Amino acid sequence: MTTTTRILTVDDSPSMRALLLHALTKHGFKVEQAEDGQMALDWLATNEVDVIITDINMPRLDGFGLIEGLRSSARHSDRPILVLSTESSDTKKQRARQAGATGWIVKPFDAEKLAMAVRRVAH
Amino acid sequence: MAALDPPPSHSAPDRVTVMQGEARASAEPTVEFSTVLGSCVAMCLFDPSARVGGMNHFLLAEPPTHRSREQFDEHYGLFLMELLVNEMLALGASKSRLKARLYGGANIHRGLSPIGTANADFARRFVVQEGIELTQADLGGNQARRVHFLPASGRVRCRLTAAQATPTQQPLRRPQSALGDVELF
Repeated sequence: MTTTTRILTVDDSPSMRALLLHALTKHGFKVEQAEDGQMALDWLATNEVDVIITDINMPRLDGFGLIEGLRSSARHSDRPILVLSTESSDTKKQRARQAGATGWIVKPFDAEKLAMAVRRVAH
Repeated sequence: MAALDPPPSHSAPDRVTVMQGEARASAEPTVEFSTVLGSCVAMCLFDPSARVGGMNHFLLAEPPTHRSREQFDEHYGLFLMELLVNEMLALGASKSRLKARLYGGANIHRGLSPIGTANADFARRFVVQEGIELTQADLGGNQARRVHFLPASGRVRCRLTAAQATPTQQPLRRPQSALGDVELF
């Protein structure tokens, strides 16, 4: 029996959220969405997903803060977290890696590659 | 003895041409962004509190025939919008304070698909979706425009110009080599 992979996307841009929702549901994933890192942390306190996809530049709590917050929690210590960002500098990738990110995807993303990456890291 | 203030500077601005597919931001009072637009659209963003401004310049492509959702490739347009916003955030701007001006989107060549209209519609939709205040829009028509933008003051000059002044431009194609590169740690 197969179960649907559940994804939480975290991005402050409504346009990007709409694009991600369309691309991921088209590939059969169940998608939840948060507008910033703090909203994601609050939601994940009482909900579960299989994979988290997060932007970096966001108000209130950015992507780095979200990753650090999740990794400090036993419930989410090994939850796959993919960063999806326009940023591509090695410094920022290294920071995300040290914070505990699972991978880094550079925007503009290709929906097929994104879906493949999600399937690869999903537990 | 107190030092004298330096005399006011009247030197020429540091003019930076923003080409199609580019996004530039600055807080330097001497910098001026400029571009020439036909069917393309330029979005000028300004944060009046941080006194940071930025400009991008895009022309959306029609997607491959197997992609049916969008009439034009809005995905890459979104990328350029986000790139501009992120460059401004890095200079101290806040997204909630941004004000937008839109220019271009002319349909220069009669009889061809109205790509200028599609670009203008995309830009208008973007600012509405993102909750960015649109303070001015000079879009459409059938003439090219020349735009000068002072990012540190938010001042814009836009004038119509001959279509011949507009460089021939191909729609944006996403860079295939870097498209959605996935790096697992």
